[in-house]
Amino acid sequence: MIKRTLLLFVVATMSAQVTSQRISNSDREPGAWMTYSGSYRGWRYSALDQITRENAKRLRVKWVYQMPTTNVIETTPLVADGVMYVTEPPSNVVALDPATGRQFWRYHRELPAKINVCCGQVNRGVALLGDQVFVGTVDAHLVSLDAKTGAVLWDVAVADHKTGHSITVAPLAVKDMIVCGISGGEYGIRGFLDAYDAKTGKRRWRFWTIPEPGQPGSETWPKGTAAWKTGGAPTWVTGSYDAEQNLIIWGTGNPSPDWNGDSRPGDNLYSDSAIALDADTGALKWHFQFVPHDVHDWDAVQVPVLVDDEWQGTRRKLIYWAHRNGFAYVLDRETGKFLRGGAFATQTWAKGLDVNGKPIALPNTDPSAEGTYIYPGVQGATNWYSPSYSPQTKLFYLAAWENKSVYRKGEQKYSPGNRYIGSVPLIDLPDDPGTGAIRALNPKTGERVWEYKLLTKPWAGVLSTAGKLVFGGSDEGYFFALDAETGKEAWRMNTGGIIRANPVTYLSEGKQIVAIAAGSGIFAFELTP
Amino acid sequence: MGRLLFLRSVLFSCAAVLLAADEKMANPRVSPADVSAGAATFRSHCAPCHGIAAEGGRGPNLTTGIFYHGATDADLLANISDGIVGTEMPGLFYSEDRVWQVVAYIRSLNAGSHAASSGNPDAGKALFRAKGCPQCHRVAGEGGRLGPDLTNIGQMRSLEHLRQAVTDPNADVRPRYWVVSVKNKNGYDSTGFLMNEDTYTIQFIDMNEQLRSVRKSELAAYRIDKVSKMPSFRDTLNSAELGDLLAYLSSLRPETGSSR
Repeated sequence: MIKRTLLLFVVATMSAQVTSQRISNSDREPGAWMTYSGSYRGWRYSALDQITRENAKRLRVKWVYQMPTTNVIETTPLVADGVMYVTEPPSNVVALDPATGRQFWRYHRELPAKINVCCGQVNRGVALLGDQVFVGTVDAHLVSLDAKTGAVLWDVAVADHKTGHSITVAPLAVKDMIVCGISGGEYGIRGFLDAYDAKTGKRRWRFWTIPEPGQPGSETWPKGTAAWKTGGAPTWVTGSYDAEQNLIIWGTGNPSPDWNGDSRPGDNLYSDSAIALDADTGALKWHFQFVPHDVHDWDAVQVPVLVDDEWQGTRRKLIYWAHRNGFAYVLDRETGKFLRGGAFATQTWAKGLDVNGKPIALPNTDPSAEGTYIYPGVQGATNWYSPSYSPQTKLFYLAAWENKSVYRKGEQKYSPGNRYIGSVPLIDLPDDPGTGAIRALNPKTGERVWEYKLLTKPWAGVLSTAGKLVFGGSDEGYFFALDAETGKEAWRMNTGGIIRANPVTYLSEGKQIVAIAAGSGIFAFELTP
Repeated sequence: MGRLLFLRSVLFSCAAVLLAADEKMANPRVSPADVSAGAATFRSHCAPCHGIAAEGGRGPNLTTGIFYHGATDADLLANISDGIVGTEMPGLFYSEDRVWQVVAYIRSLNAGSHAASSGNPDAGKALFRAKGCPQCHRVAGEGGRLGPDLTNIGQMRSLEHLRQAVTDPNADVRPRYWVVSVKNKNGYDSTGFLMNEDTYTIQFIDMNEQLRSVRKSELAAYRIDKVSKMPSFRDTLNSAELGDLLAYLSSLRPETGSSR
């Protein structure tokens, strides 16, 4: 009792200043979860090892925080200096006690009556820096709040929500800046990635993900048309930061309109790409496009997993990336060069990848008026939910889908604020809705090491821990822990609501907690004695 | 087919209703009897926050004709019926007719007092600093966090309520600013402002601006006092100074009034 009480006060009196330096050294503070993926490297891995594959069966609910919302909760909770920060959809923020789930404060975002979002009024989390909290809103503002009280410090319009811009991404705090992406790939926006001065909210730089005529990459858009102005390539999932190279590495979304590429002949850079930007200037250092001239809506909106490891005899800065198109890639992080790739799920659209990593498309795989059946489906073989990399097992973990869609092509004209997608595919076949799995891959060879099968397709990310566990969730409401080496189930519990979020882990009063959003709440789990 | 036609007619009716709800919608209940009925509803449901004479209290003064969340009849109808998200204003679940009567009553007041401070806001701003207010209060990101953030206080509170808050802080203390004192079993003391409480726990921000969550079972004693930590300035400001300070506080508003 005394020990616990002392700890309580020690934690509470620590200086509450999250710095970019602290996030860079997140390995040294496994008790906190200070940024979306737990570290700048995008691993969603924790060195905490109190919960193990041996004792995981003793996990039980510690607390639940229920949200007054009917929107899907996609938030990744952040935990620093004794406070948990979660977003509550559409664009609210709540500060909670990580030990009890009780609320300190709540920021309520007043929203316009009409919001243009393709896929639900959702939010994936906040960023922390200094004594500030940052949230992007579905009406396309970036807001800074006081971490102690939730008072608004600044509120800037990133873009006009009336033209289909919105923000669902968790921003990324880098140095003294807040890097924030944009959504709107189904509304014909012109995508960008922004960096803002954390103190003032003043914009430092903007990188347009579609170059204007005359700029490098503009040759991949039709000359003399305005297709580039409505070409999409949003930036709606949090990227990673390579501090050594000072590079922000971020994925971009589909070109617009999604399923009809007739108005945009060419590769459509920098849609469906990994982009590497100088953190101070936003200048493009390299790019790698996974799907040139995409007509299937296969966004490159996965968290880039940055790993330094041996590659064919030399130590190299690598990126592991399992893409919505069904292929898992290894890229060189200094140049963006393709090193290897192979399918990690059923795909019927490409013969394979060429030496440069460009897909070799099979004939008759584009959307058609009568409908084209293709694996993977519109939502991809994986999607925005996070993968994980464990330095312990050196395995890459992800939630994967075995699913096909009927891709249909139709005509569509652009009009501001309206959907610009080029017909609507049949996303799920009613009599063949597909299945899912948690998979462990050897990222260097693409070999599947194990698989944990799910009847339904999971929309939840995975977390690996030094307790040799991988945590994941399902649309059926199950939250589970798997043996990181074998995939054998160590524990599971039904939360009673769909899980469409990423798990995190942290220390509270010296004890390891695992937390995830499920149904309408945040669930926190601990070991029973 | 018949069902489709029916659906169409329903859709058409909905569209007609939506069209009717435009900004030019006029209050159909404006007779003296309506005003008087509206006043009765106002006294029972609105006066606790807006004051018995609607000149403001915890809620804004409604007699000035200035409405920050939309000033058309349609705006007032919607704000009274649905409440105003992001503020403490709740909705009033009465028939549209009865809400219109409240609107009529409020309109009847709008020719009334335009209470504004005659003070000098710049002098008030200097006084605000000189008296140490920023130690606890923030304005536009500057100042302490322990007291209420005053960035938009002029929009949220009437002049009368601001005057009361400065001269008699204990008259109306929001629960968020009730004072928590805890003593744990090791004799450790802490004091702060209440953020949340349940049967077993208390959450508060302490005087060092640290967020704390404590279990009551681990405390030797705790107390929650419904009083303000703010000193009264009744005797430390002369009436000109008070006027200046109120003019400054009243000037703290967003640059433009937002409309719904």
